Amino acid sequence: MRGILPKVVKATVMGLLWFFLLYVLPSLLLSELVEQVMPGYTQLLRAFAIIIVFFVVVSELLAGTIFQYALKMGKAFVFMGFFIYSLNGGFLALDFEMVHIEADLRVYLAMLLTIDFLGLAKSLLQAIDFLAKKTERQLAI
Amino acid sequence: MKYAIRALGWATAALWILVILFSGTVVYSAMQIGMNFGEEPEMTVSNGEITMSIPFSISNGGLYDISELNITTFIAAEDETVISRSTTTVPLISRGDTVNKTHDISISLDDIVTKNLTYMLFNDINLSVGMFVGLTYAYAIPLTISTDLSMPWGAPLNNLAIGEISPTPPYDLPLSFENHAFFGLNGTISLEIMDSLNELIGSGTTDILVQPGGGYDDTIPVTITGDPSDVAEVRLYFDTSIFSFGPVVIPIE
Repeated sequence: MRGILPKVVKATVMGLLWFFLLYVLPSLLLSELVEQVMPGYTQLLRAFAIIIVFFVVVSELLAGTIFQYALKMGKAFVFMGFFIYSLNGGFLALDFEMVHIEADLRVYLAMLLTIDFLGLAKSLLQAIDFLAKKTERQLAI
Repeated sequence: MKYAIRALGWATAALWILVILFSGTVVYSAMQIGMNFGEEPEMTVSNGEITMSIPFSISNGGLYDISELNITTFIAAEDETVISRSTTTVPLISRGDTVNKTHDISISLDDIVTKNLTYMLFNDINLSVGMFVGLTYAYAIPLTISTDLSMPWGAPLNNLAIGEISPTPPYDLPLSFENHAFFGLNGTISLEIMDSLNELIGSGTTDILVQPGGGYDDTIPVTITGDPSDVAEVRLYFDTSIFSFGPVVIPIE
């Protein structure tokens, strides 16, 4: 119990901090301007913040276990799906009064997916490293 | 293993910085692009073609180049027949540059005749005007902007009507129409008068000069060689500086 409490406190603080940075601050600064151009932006931003906060909190709670890396890999997959969904597969279409705008953001999406793939690879290596060290410790005992 | 993990961490951080910087600078740069339609469009008429020249300038004050800029406009009649399609391309607008170009939209009135759109000569309609702008920003983001508008078309021979031929010589035929078009009509009207056996019994010609928005309401002197009481139809031929059209067959009851 004594070991869990600091983790819960740290997870709560981290979660609140990330929520403030990713949702409260952008909402205060940008929402009115961007919502006019991109309706639905607030929902996406909220979803993004919720996903990040969820993974930050759970990651803090699972710190020091193999599940932390499994969670990071899961996070990479969730973000890939989120980016593909929110960027509509790279083809964004907006209607602004009588003007229809289409943007091909596949290059941008590719950059975001590359980040997630690197994160996935990193988490995989970290998991292998974690298991290797654990096995080494067990063998040493 | 440790170094590989660290390298991947650095690569991820570097890519995040790149993405955030790219996003920020693209949004900032997009806001620095100015498009200006400062001068009035110029209308010219030559060889049966009406051309509207729209001068514009694009100043790229952003941090990235604009490439493959393509401005296309098309004008379609009510039955969706395309009567004009014009494209202006600018291969490259480098950052910091300003490009001045003119987009020409041409409508050929001879095309209207050949494409079976002759109702446009007699009836006011609404034309649909489509505009499409395509470009590639920062060599990475293809962008298309399109809009559909409606533009009124004024018929040059609106309310075309003829009256009765005078019963006694010298014969003449009243003719009237309103020019709702934005161009003037300068040319001649020829007419043929046919009897009930579809034989030519009379003819006439007159010069016309009708300003845009003006009307024509006059009598045309005609020569009748047959029975003036046996007129079945009148055929009108228009030969103007912008279009030639005929016959317009008007039955006489």
